Amino acid sequence: MLGKLSFRNAKRQAKDYCIYFITVIISVALMFSFNSIATSSDISELSSYMNYFSKAIAGISIIIVLVMAWLINYCMVFMLEKRSKEFGTYQILGIEKKSISNIFTLENLMIGGIAFIIGIALGTFLYQIFTSIIMNLFNQPYQIEISFSLKAIGITAIYFFGIFALVLLNCRRKIKKIKVYDLLYAEKKNENNIIKNAKGNIILFALSIVLLVGAILINNNEFANASNMVGRNIFIAIVMLIVGIYLFYISISSFIVKRYLNNKSRKYKKDNMFLYRNLTSKINTMSFSLGTIALMFVIILTGANVALLMNNLINNEIEMGYPYEIMISTQDGDFSKYKEYIEKNTKVKNMYEYRLYNIEEVGIAKKGFEGTPFQGKSDNKIDCVLGLTDYNKLREMLGYEKINIHDDEIIINCLKTTKSAFEKYTKENCEIRIFEKDFKIKEIRSESIAQVGFNGFYYAIIVPDSFIPIIKQEDEKLRTKNDINATTVKVGEEKNEIYNLDFAYKLVATTENMTDEKFYQELSNFIINQDREMTGEINGEEQQYTMQISLGNVKTKGEKMSQSKSFYATISFLAFYIAIIFVMATATLLAIQQLSDSEKYKYRYELLKKLGMDELQINRTIFKQLLFYFAIPMVLPIIISIPIILSVSQVFAIGVTMEEIFRNIGIILGMFILVYGIYFIATDVQFDRNINGNG
Amino acid sequence: MKKILKVEQIQKYYGNKDNITKAIDGISFDVEEGEFIGIMGASGSGKTTLLNCISTIDTVSSGHIYLENQDMTEIKEENIAKFRRENLGFIFQDFNLLDTLTIEENIALILTINKVPEKEIDKKTLEIARKLGIEEILNKYPYQVSGGQKQRCAICRAIVNNPKIILADEPTGSLDSKAARQLLEIMEDMNNKMKATILMVTHDPLSASYAKKILFLKDGKIFNKIEKGEKQRKDFYNEILDVLALLGGDARDVR
Repeated sequence: MLGKLSFRNAKRQAKDYCIYFITVIISVALMFSFNSIATSSDISELSSYMNYFSKAIAGISIIIVLVMAWLINYCMVFMLEKRSKEFGTYQILGIEKKSISNIFTLENLMIGGIAFIIGIALGTFLYQIFTSIIMNLFNQPYQIEISFSLKAIGITAIYFFGIFALVLLNCRRKIKKIKVYDLLYAEKKNENNIIKNAKGNIILFALSIVLLVGAILINNNEFANASNMVGRNIFIAIVMLIVGIYLFYISISSFIVKRYLNNKSRKYKKDNMFLYRNLTSKINTMSFSLGTIALMFVIILTGANVALLMNNLINNEIEMGYPYEIMISTQDGDFSKYKEYIEKNTKVKNMYEYRLYNIEEVGIAKKGFEGTPFQGKSDNKIDCVLGLTDYNKLREMLGYEKINIHDDEIIINCLKTTKSAFEKYTKENCEIRIFEKDFKIKEIRSESIAQVGFNGFYYAIIVPDSFIPIIKQEDEKLRTKNDINATTVKVGEEKNEIYNLDFAYKLVATTENMTDEKFYQELSNFIINQDREMTGEINGEEQQYTMQISLGNVKTKGEKMSQSKSFYATISFLAFYIAIIFVMATATLLAIQQLSDSEKYKYRYELLKKLGMDELQINRTIFKQLLFYFAIPMVLPIIISIPIILSVSQVFAIGVTMEEIFRNIGIILGMFILVYGIYFIATDVQFDRNINGNG
Repeated sequence: MKKILKVEQIQKYYGNKDNITKAIDGISFDVEEGEFIGIMGASGSGKTTLLNCISTIDTVSSGHIYLENQDMTEIKEENIAKFRRENLGFIFQDFNLLDTLTIEENIALILTINKVPEKEIDKKTLEIARKLGIEEILNKYPYQVSGGQKQRCAICRAIVNNPKIILADEPTGSLDSKAARQLLEIMEDMNNKMKATILMVTHDPLSASYAKKILFLKDGKIFNKIEKGEKQRKDFYNEILDVLALLGGDARDVR
């Protein structure tokens, strides 16, 4: 009987918690689908790098579980409080606390169980979608098939019911401790702290703004000179940010009061007064939670953006650094065996060998990068030089047009990201003196010709062929200076130094089809064996050292692609996973708060109705109230995180363009607002129904 | 005297075909400008339903209610709110003040709903508050002031907009006897000096004795009607008690 009664009561409240229920279902579905991906052999076999994907999902699950636990705990305690009158009545009728908490437990297990089953079903569907997206990314055919991974169900069940068990224990403890009086009169409790020391709070509000602006400025300053970043300053900025956010939410209601309610003509305009009073009393009672939510939003927004930046970085690295399928550097320029091997194992379209020269820096980069995010990035003290013939051949292989220069002209070919810095510099200084000869910089070009450490570091100087003999001499001179650009490697007792400049003989090739990871492995093995043949038997440590050099000087696009796709899949799926669960949890929390408060608001709006407000006006006021309520924890994080993202992205400046940075921000904010907006609209519709009493 | 309100044969039924409850069963009466009418009756006699119908919160099953020749029962749903805020003032038993607003703002609320220009709102609020002696507490919140002060605030809110008729539902129901007496004196004053037209529902004979005319309801019909005329309030009070005894209402209703 009691069970039936309680079931009916739960059903009556279901409409308020419908949003919570749906959120739990979607969370289970996401959890299950990601766990399925993590345990799927189809996916892990795609690439050797996809193993990290599974490991990352396992790691990220901790965060997901924490967020879910927070949401579920909040909602259950909330429900408990809302139903306190019901439970109090049971207790007055003489029902023991133990059976009451048993009923509550049973009810929630039932709800959880149903959500779990629906969630798993939905998750199976999501898994198919996600898998097909990943398979598509790797150009693999994929057939949709319904399959359950028992392991994934197991893991999901452990996470989910683990959370439920803990939260229910917490609720049982609460029921045990509570007194009948509190249960019966819990609803009558007013929102306390309606009045605060307004003057003090205005000062706090000003202080919070100062702290936030200060944190952003310090942060920006540190990231602008990322090479000598001071950890202590970053730490201070973070502390300022956290304190600032909390202070902001503690004091904002006083600010609203001052701004909108102390000015009579503004106060009496339309429904301002009613709206802001409702809002401020609500903010006052939950300023701490709002602060926490806002802080999390800042972290999620920034984190998601950094994740996308890394994606851009990797994609751009491929685009800018791997235009040729195969790229090999050697010390001696003897490519005959390599060429033979490559021709045997792939269908070669074009192959070209040439030499890159290294000379002492002529000063273009140093001055050109001054005051830009690239300052200090190219501190190699060397410039790389290509002859015009080699340059044009490299261009031709990629289908770019031929370029001509006069004997007193040079060209700079750089990464697309650094083009604007160079152009700005050459606008004022187009004359340059190189080894006693005056040149004019004809133009800055930014076609990708592998300038991420292969054909120069971010840029190379193209000189007329007639000037090459002089360059050659300078190159020889530089080689004898031992202290330039050396990496020290310890081999046995001896210290050996490797010079990147030693590997100046280059071979590039384009092929009909993209090579795969296996080809890369075989090619590197072949090169290592070649080295071994040349150096003869060497001890273990030295062998490793030779291998490192050999591997570093062999690059294939195919291998890099496979790596980057894995990375891409991992980062974007995980960022999506965390962000969506967190936004959903937060929006649910706000929705439930407002919907279950609608009882209280119903009374207020009912009064407005009696005083002569019509339904349309009331709905408009409700809409505004909810809009403000949803916007308050979100607007500040957006305002804060955009400058933070822009500062952080300075670190990525060499690999990511400004448009890409803004596109990322757009994508993330768009997704964020979409999910949040759906919850907002759902809440508004249900709220209207609750207030107007026809739902 | 001008007729403000004319109630004509109104009926209000609840329930279905098999089980009809007649909450109001053919009531007619007129209210003239400047009148203070009390409506008395036991619980379930239909007095609150009557008030709700007059205040357009509820609709009648049949009959007509005219406010200054406008038929309230014919007003379209979308115009009702506007009609209500322009013509009617409400005083409730439990004050119905918003505890998020200050006393001043509670009074001003009705003016903002009526879209009174912002500059006038302040003036009107202060003026009415001074009349009712609550200007000292204007910046306090409802839970910081006494019940009597809250109800005075509610009265301010009801009359600040100069409504044609003030509808009061058990206005003293939540007050102690001293506060109740003060409040009723204020209402009497409003009626005498400001010529406010008041319709008050109550089951308390003392409250009713402040009215000039009383309608007694029983089972949805008008059972009796008495007028104060030139009588002393004490005599009028005794007369009310007599009628109540006659009414055979529950003993609880007779204090």
